[in-house]
Amino acid sequence: MAFVLDRLGGQTIMISLFDTLLRILPHRAPTGLVPIGTPDRSSPVLVTGNYTLTVRRVRRALTGRDAWLLVADSKGINVWCASGGGHLTHHDVISAIRTSGVQDRVDRRLLVLPELCATGVERRRIEEATGWTATWGPASAEDIPAFLDRGGHTARSERATRFPLPDRLEMAAMWIGPLVPILWLVLWPITGAGAAAIDAGVVGLAVLALYGFFPWLPLRTMRGIPVYATLSVAAFGIGIAALALFGLLHPSTMLWLAAACVVAMGIASIDMAGSTPLLSSSVNPSDFEVELLSNRCTGTAECVLVCPREVLVMDGHAHKVRIAEPANCILCAACIVQCPEDALRFRFDDGRVVEPDVIRRTRMNLLGKRKTSL
Amino acid sequence: MTYAFMRRLESTPSRYDRGIELLSGGRIGSVYDRIAEMAARPGANVLDVGCGTGGVSIACEVLGAHVTGIDRDAGMLEIAAAKSNAVQWLEIDATEIEDHFGPESLDAVVSCLAFSEMSPQVQRYVLSTASSRLRPGGRLVIADEVEPDRVGQRVWYRVRRAPVMAVTWLLTQTGTRPVKDLARSIATAGFTQIETERPWPSFLIVSAVKPS
Repeated sequence: MAFVLDRLGGQTIMISLFDTLLRILPHRAPTGLVPIGTPDRSSPVLVTGNYTLTVRRVRRALTGRDAWLLVADSKGINVWCASGGGHLTHHDVISAIRTSGVQDRVDRRLLVLPELCATGVERRRIEEATGWTATWGPASAEDIPAFLDRGGHTARSERATRFPLPDRLEMAAMWIGPLVPILWLVLWPITGAGAAAIDAGVVGLAVLALYGFFPWLPLRTMRGIPVYATLSVAAFGIGIAALALFGLLHPSTMLWLAAACVVAMGIASIDMAGSTPLLSSSVNPSDFEVELLSNRCTGTAECVLVCPREVLVMDGHAHKVRIAEPANCILCAACIVQCPEDALRFRFDDGRVVEPDVIRRTRMNLLGKRKTSL
Repeated sequence: MTYAFMRRLESTPSRYDRGIELLSGGRIGSVYDRIAEMAARPGANVLDVGCGTGGVSIACEVLGAHVTGIDRDAGMLEIAAAKSNAVQWLEIDATEIEDHFGPESLDAVVSCLAFSEMSPQVQRYVLSTASSRLRPGGRLVIADEVEPDRVGQRVWYRVRRAPVMAVTWLLTQTGTRPVKDLARSIATAGFTQIETERPWPSFLIVSAVKPS
């Protein structure tokens, strides 16, 4: 977690704790060009968004290196969410190049874009507008040093999104931090302080279990309702036992406990789906998938470089891309947005298609838009 | 007027016009007309920076100007294009003006409620680009949310804005900020004949001229 890994200075810990617990809210870091180490005119230029936790994480990953960090205006939101929601686009990167002074500080016109911005940042639009060459970096900041050492190429493992335990605990802390005290304060006048504390506590445990056991939960291949329901029931059972232990078991406290469990898991399920590049957004309709028009594919394989789920692979013999792991697809549309040949699009089960230009316009922000645009 | 809700409105372009009309107490239409009156002439080339759903652009076009409205939000431009095909709509950012307009090719540059979305660096860049793209004697008109001048009004403005900002933040994870030192920034960019109008305490229209 950010506050564990940071320097053990009082102020840094407080800021990191604040950032981590309130990471659901946007925190704006200053935009512009940030030197890391002692960069010179030949140092690499890496792009990121102006979410404080992201900037800090990239800086930490680059400790001991010399590089320029070009912080684009993602409205204080992390790269993945900002790009999917239309808050970080190629316009922001173009703006950063032109207003940060980077053009006067480096000789090479080469940018490294974070892979997870590919849903909203159109790489070619940056190149057309600025004359810079833009390439795709890894999905995780921690892989940037290896990426640089390799001469600016991502290994396959670096393109896939990981969700290790520290990250999962950080996400759990983000929800438990506000959810538990708010639930306690809301339920206190209704059920009394003791029962409210038990309700809030078991909800916290359920959220912790959801994120802690995430790799072992069957959430990738189903909509997840049974998983969330099971966790709600388990939390409810633990809560009932605790209420009984302290002599607080009444129909009304049971009812409020059940409501708290359902609401908390409902919120967590929405966050899980879409907020991370691991599961499909819950606002997606369930009856469509990515379609590859093989006759249009010229094998540039940019889609492979931006897929966070290793769905697409390059077939070296055919010199074309193929969809290797369709079940892994989270329908983020990064591949569709970046394909220079428009060889990818969405297709609904009933035959309707959503062309790339519509997706570039609406990005992941479905809200019925893709359906109405058909 | 509560521009903190603007981000919410912009996330749903179809509601923008109705929402901004409501939030301005029905005064936004007269602001669009006033900006057009200051900047547009028959046959003049006018650029509307951050045109949104096209309120100012269309008001300028009605006065006979050749108008280009630019906005980075394709959803907003869809609404604008449905209102008028006499205006040219371009999906570009304010920092991409130089790619589409030659030096001294514009008679007027206007902008309403867009500067508050920009960082100070971008504001400076846009003012500098506007200056290079305007012909000598060309007019710049910028209107945006500002903090009221009087202390009492400013305190009331902040008190009233704080909870709305919090709600907006929770709903949209974004917010807006009132523009600071707008007239001074315009003067620093080299414009002269600076005049200001306040249709209401927290809203400022600044008009200026590129020196000949």
